[in-house]
Amino acid sequence: MKKLFLTAALLPIGAGAHAACAPDYSGVTLTVSTQNGPFIASALKTAAESWEAKTCGKIELVEFPFSELYPKFLTAMNQQTGDFDVIGFIPAWVPDFAPYLSSMPVEMQSGDAWDDIHPVYRERLMSWGGEIKSATMDGDMHMLNYRADLFEDADNKAAFEEKYGYELTAPVTWDQYYDIAEFFSASDAVKFGTAEAYRRGGQQFWYFFSHAASYTNHPDQPGSMFFDPETMDAQINNPGWLKALEDYKSGLDFNPPGSLNSGSGDVRPLYAGGSVAMNIDWADSGVMGATEGTIKGNVRTAMLPGSTTFWNSKTNEWDTFDEPVASPFLAFGGWQLAVPSDSKNAEAAWSYVQEVISPEVSGKAIVTANTGVNPYRFSHYEDLENWSSVFTEEEAESYLGAQRASLDAPNVALDLRLPGFFSYTEILEIELSKALAGEVEPQEALDTIAAEWNKLTDQFGRENQLAAYRASMGLPALN
Amino acid sequence: MENRIYRRIGLIGALFWLAICLFPLWWIVVTAFKPPLAVSQGATYIPFVDFNPTLQAFRDAFSGIRGDFASPIFSSLAVSITATALSVLLGSMAAYALVRFEFRIKLLAGVVFAVVAIGGFVVVTEVLGWKVPHALGAMLVLALAISVWLNTKNLPGPVMKNNDVTFWFVSQRMFPPIVSAFALFLLYAELNKTGLRMLDSFPGLVLAYTAFGLPFAVWLMRDFLSTIPVEVEEAAMVDNIGRMRIFFQIVMPMSKPGLVATSMIVLAFIWNEFLFALLLTSSKWQTLPILLAGQNSSRGDEWWAISVAALISIIPMIIVAIFLGRMMRSGLLAGSIK
Amino acid sequence: MNRDTLSKHAFMWPAFLIVLLVTLFPLIYALTVSFQSIRIVPPIPPQFVGLQNYADILASDRFWESIGTTATIVFISVAIQYVVGFSLALTLHHNVPGASLYRVTFLLPMFLAPVCVALIARMLFHPVLGPVNELFTMFGLENVPFLTNSTLAVAVLITVEVWQWTPFVVLLMLAGLQGLPSEVFEAARVDNIPTWRRFWDITFPMLLPLSVAVIFIRLIEGFKVIDTIFVLTGGGPGTATETLTLFAYNEGFKKFNIGMTSALSFLFLIVVILFGTFYLAAAQRLTQRYQ
Repeated sequence: MKKLFLTAALLPIGAGAHAACAPDYSGVTLTVSTQNGPFIASALKTAAESWEAKTCGKIELVEFPFSELYPKFLTAMNQQTGDFDVIGFIPAWVPDFAPYLSSMPVEMQSGDAWDDIHPVYRERLMSWGGEIKSATMDGDMHMLNYRADLFEDADNKAAFEEKYGYELTAPVTWDQYYDIAEFFSASDAVKFGTAEAYRRGGQQFWYFFSHAASYTNHPDQPGSMFFDPETMDAQINNPGWLKALEDYKSGLDFNPPGSLNSGSGDVRPLYAGGSVAMNIDWADSGVMGATEGTIKGNVRTAMLPGSTTFWNSKTNEWDTFDEPVASPFLAFGGWQLAVPSDSKNAEAAWSYVQEVISPEVSGKAIVTANTGVNPYRFSHYEDLENWSSVFTEEEAESYLGAQRASLDAPNVALDLRLPGFFSYTEILEIELSKALAGEVEPQEALDTIAAEWNKLTDQFGRENQLAAYRASMGLPALN
Repeated sequence: MENRIYRRIGLIGALFWLAICLFPLWWIVVTAFKPPLAVSQGATYIPFVDFNPTLQAFRDAFSGIRGDFASPIFSSLAVSITATALSVLLGSMAAYALVRFEFRIKLLAGVVFAVVAIGGFVVVTEVLGWKVPHALGAMLVLALAISVWLNTKNLPGPVMKNNDVTFWFVSQRMFPPIVSAFALFLLYAELNKTGLRMLDSFPGLVLAYTAFGLPFAVWLMRDFLSTIPVEVEEAAMVDNIGRMRIFFQIVMPMSKPGLVATSMIVLAFIWNEFLFALLLTSSKWQTLPILLAGQNSSRGDEWWAISVAALISIIPMIIVAIFLGRMMRSGLLAGSIK
Repeated sequence: MNRDTLSKHAFMWPAFLIVLLVTLFPLIYALTVSFQSIRIVPPIPPQFVGLQNYADILASDRFWESIGTTATIVFISVAIQYVVGFSLALTLHHNVPGASLYRVTFLLPMFLAPVCVALIARMLFHPVLGPVNELFTMFGLENVPFLTNSTLAVAVLITVEVWQWTPFVVLLMLAGLQGLPSEVFEAARVDNIPTWRRFWDITFPMLLPLSVAVIFIRLIEGFKVIDTIFVLTGGGPGTATETLTLFAYNEGFKKFNIGMTSALSFLFLIVVILFGTFYLAAAQRLTQRYQ
């Protein structure tokens, strides 16, 4: 009797608790996996807490070293172990992962939250083979960071103009970029001109691509940067790429000594610590400089430099443009989330993904230190208020403006996404590191890469690779 | 006189090596307390003099933003201690058998084993379309049965003896781990589907690591056991005491120093193993080396964070080394290697 | 079957079966796969290709270069490990002042995860921010590219291997030294045989079998070196520091070219076995000459 009473008394409480779970995933435990924290993982953790509170589900976050994520996810999905409900990974792997991923539920593909995502992510990076297989949770691209205190200093400006004959501002061409780097390397105002990553395995090749986009991503021939979009012949040994490699290598003179060992992680503190006048990096340098560094208030960000000349791979000659054309390179493309098709809790998993990328949760993540999450929604770019804890107003404007401008640039260059990504980039890294260390001539290195790329394409099936390449470059299928 | 010169050379050498051993360790200890700027602006060595130490890196590590350390430490300890105990126990038993008994394995029986196992596997998978793990399991049993039976027959050809058996054990460590780890993963994944949970489970890891440690255990323990005089055992045999009791009550206690040294070496190998741990675990049983390797990736070289993680992983091993060092001092190891 | 035969088998089979199950299974699988072209990325259905994988590898320069690199690193580092380790064991055995302190510290490096050791080495050998650079700067060599120059990178890798694995030699050789019967040495001392001769005529020959085992274990483990290289140089510059295992790792784990990786592993196994047999044969002759 007493027992019955108790049950009756508890019943409403239980029901009340259930009503608070919307949608109700009590009893569901999701295994979410990504690289070791704090970057990305900490953002997933914060979102997990709010999702758990909302739905009564549980999230277990598992982290692996970045270099092991790809094999780990691929083997697990290939063997259908059902180990992971949500995986956080990078767009370059989508072509290899796509066969094992479930598609985003259609209800998530409409509404305000959906339209708020910048189309470059929504329509290009999140889609593969005509379906939405993944959700961007972090927007990312290479940008140029520079220091306002140096660039706006009257003495520097005068000295620069005297020597180079034009005004010192954020460079819009790579030639200007090297002029400025040279100027600051020689000047006493700062130790070194610029910082870029050169280490093999330290995101080296994305830096190289960022240079190359400005000479090879021909505005009139979309999608011809890496391969010929009709024949799938490798383009990487053409004169445009050669110029990019020579540029990239010559930059070593204006980098701190020992830069061949610098990965992208090393480039950030160099800028934030005030050792260099500029650097090229993802959006993380800006935040680090404004929060942890010695250059607070002086963080300025610009689109990557462009160029006035492009190699035309059709006519095999250099085409010259009157005005510099910006070809900002969407290096890496930011982290994405996906739900493997062997997940037993796909519905709950997508609901969690929705939570992570929701404007509210992601809006907090972008301004929280060390989440590694950078803007990818219109609301992120537009809400300057939100950024006041990180940036001064000038900083926020240039930081967000540069990202927005990069995405909106008519000649934006998309990253390489192909099945067998590692096979292509492995040979690239090997030859690139040889060329940078001066062991082979740049042209020789590029020729080797091109030959190897063509071989790989044949091995994997030229037709398939061509179709995949066209899709990744946003070109319609042939015939 | 001459002796004194050697002692002096020895002392200088030892001091020199001490410095070489300690400097990197000193470096990670101090680096763990460095603020970022003390790293990025050149080498600094002495806290309070060169830089102001901070506990930030430790706070980050324990607050969980660099990954959860507690659970990997627990898995690492549980798995490596169990697997070490098992492989040293089973390894000593096998080593004992190798020391006290004579094995005669006909080469031909071994060849038949290989032919049946591989040939059968190819036939069953290619022709009958069996799944890889099932086919292999069945063929291993079949081949084993045939060759054990054949071995009792009078076969021509060379005969392999105890030395070859020992070599066989050690040779299992020669194969590059990449392929083994991947194949073992395939096997475990299939077993998982049948409901026997091997991937990301305690038994699965312990089994793999026991096999991993056995070759060392067998070889080293054979060396240690061979120094134990046989007379004691013979006396026991006369009293009609069983082999098992002799082994556990007489032989094992007598070879304690060897057992400890072997355990330490096997433990060190298992504690630090990376590739199997990576493939065979996903969430619950992730071990420490996986977490460690990850400290290197997300924000480039955050040396202070790497140092903290390294410190966390070596503290249990420092205890081990002190333990071992003490035993060597007490001469406990004396007489354990022939 | 009498009781002894029974216990003989009871003692041997558990270990035998576990090793058979866990290590032979992959071996058979790998052998059959090595005759096929199997790729998981991008997925290509398995196809029997005979010896093609083997032929491809044997024809590739990268394979031969990686054998050369592996051999250089392994032989030089094991030689140094043995000499240094044995000398230290001798020193410790003769109780130099402070011996108990050395005993603990000398063992420590062995117990660190190789990944950790490599990460530490990357800090130490950083060409600008590292302490080794400061040391070299004192001698006028500033910003030496330790990790991005082919020869220097190999030298650094050898140093790291020596640092980490000399303790293994110290541990076992010291145990060996302590096991030597002291009577022999007493007799030698009475006969006033010089220390140097005592070592060459008595200690060294008596420890030769143990030395053979210790070196052998270090060699086969050394052949598998991967973590340190992965972290320190990634195999670069170019492929100058790429070892066999790293090569296999990239083929298998990044490119998921399973057929090729299996073939590569078997060639690797053949190299190690060939080399192991030569080594053991030579060691046996050496041992015999001393006895």
